[in-house]
Formats: sequence, C-alpha cells, structure tokens
Amino acid sequence: MSRLKKFKKTQLSDADIPTASFSDVAFLLNIFFILTATLVQPTGFHADIPAGEQGQAQEQKMPTVALSADGKIIYNDSPVSMKQLRAMLREADLPNKLPDSRTVLLTASGNVPYQDYFETMSVISSAGGLVAIMREPRKEAGK
Amino acid sequence: MRRRRRKADPYVPTTSMGDIAFLLIIFFMVCSNFAKEASQKLKPPKAADLQKIQESSISVSIDEQGLIYIQGANVPDEQAIEYGVEALIKDRATEQGRTVMFKCDKSVPREVFEPVIEAISKAGGIIAAMGDPLKENDK
Repeated sequence: MSRLKKFKKTQLSDADIPTASFSDVAFLLNIFFILTATLVQPTGFHADIPAGEQGQAQEQKMPTVALSADGKIIYNDSPVSMKQLRAMLREADLPNKLPDSRTVLLTASGNVPYQDYFETMSVISSAGGLVAIMREPRKEAGK
Repeated sequence: MRRRRRKADPYVPTTSMGDIAFLLIIFFMVCSNFAKEASQKLKPPKAADLQKIQESSISVSIDEQGLIYIQGANVPDEQAIEYGVEALIKDRATEQGRTVMFKCDKSVPREVFEPVIEAISKAGGIIAAMGDPLKENDK
C-alpha cells in the first residue's frame, strides 16, 4: 500500500525532444554540401559531328586531317605541326562558310591515343569547323 | 526616488535556425548533380583551345581500362551507348538538352573511343568533349 502511494505521487515530466543541437548538425551538413559541390565549370568544346552513313560518297574535296600513331599530323597530304594546323584552319575562315564547306574530315591510323585526337578536334572546333570522322569499315571475323 | 528598470538578458532567437538550415540542405540536395563518375579512373586529355561549357545531365565516359559508361553505369559496347543516348534525348528539343558530356582517358586507343563518338552522333547527340586546359607548365 505504501509503495503504491509513493508511485502515485511521482509526477511524470513533460516529454521533450532535445532540439538544441539540430541547427548545429544541419549547418554542418550545409558546409559539407557547399564544400563538395562542383563550383568549377568544366572545360572542353562542342563538337557537332555530322552523322553520315557508312559508304556515303564524298561529293566535294574536303579539308582532311590525318593522324598517325607516332604523333604526325597530315593536313591535305602535307605534314604539319599543331601550331601550323591551327593557323591554316584559321586562315580558311571556316565560320563564314556554309555548313557543308565547314566540314573537316578527321581520320586516324593505328592506335592513336585520345590525347592526340582530342587536341586535333579542339583545334578544328575552335577554328569553326565541323568534325567528320572517317573510319575504315570494320573487318568481319574470319574474312 | 526612481527605481531602475532591470534590463532583460540579451537573447538571440535560435528556434527557427534548424528549420532554415534543413531547408537549405533540401535545396542543395535537389539542385546538385551527384557525381556519377566518382569510381571511374580516368586522366582527362589536355588542349589549349578549350572553353568553359555548361554541364549537361547526360554523360558518357571511357576509363583508362577502356570500359564504357553511360550515366555512370558500365555498358558492354557502343551499341548500348547509341540506344541509351537516343532514349535519353528523345523528348529534348533544345541544343543543351541534346548535349552529351563525353569524358575519355587520354591514353585510350582509337579502336575504343571512335565507335563511341560515332554512336553518340548517330543517336543525335551533340558531343561536349571534356578536357583540361593546357597550362604553361605542361608545354
């Protein structure tokens, strides 16, 4: 009996969720998001590559850039450096030409690494040219 | 004799700080593009003629081992890239909507990246080739 009396007397305290540190946690999360967000704008170039069908005949003579695995650049059958290629393409005044005349054929032989390809494509694009990739047809297995 | 009034303790109301902070978190989470290529190992190529470009929501990448990814998921070949890009840009009419961010390791050979580039253009995508600007020290 005495025990029951004691129990009855105990007053329940108000239920309370401690929220004092909520804002601290939230601001820490904010700082994390701000720091991990990519503030740096990516760099590159837009290459609008015309999607031609395989075997499509070349109607007119287009300027051609050929890359070889040993790093040589050949522009219209003559070897050039990257600087010379840039100057020659700028001289061609591609942005003021019709879209068909702005196309520059890009062809590569052997295992040309992407670095060489990328640099050449960026030079063509910055000169206002449209890159058209010329590929050899795939060899069927066993043929 | 006048009694001096007791000054109230200075108090900064902080009850709504948590709410504001959580709203900011929700804003950041909704607005951010989470890195899909975090696990891919690739060294980007470098060139002098690069410009700042706007990020697009479609991404295709090739890592140093020659593995091909679309939206961060590994795919077996360029055919999957063509179908994937085609499906992603299906209802997008703007040029920005059709832009595909293309990242490739600088050492990847032509046999690997050329079919992928071709597949993207075949699907109707505009390639935004990503790379790092060439610095004076790199020359």
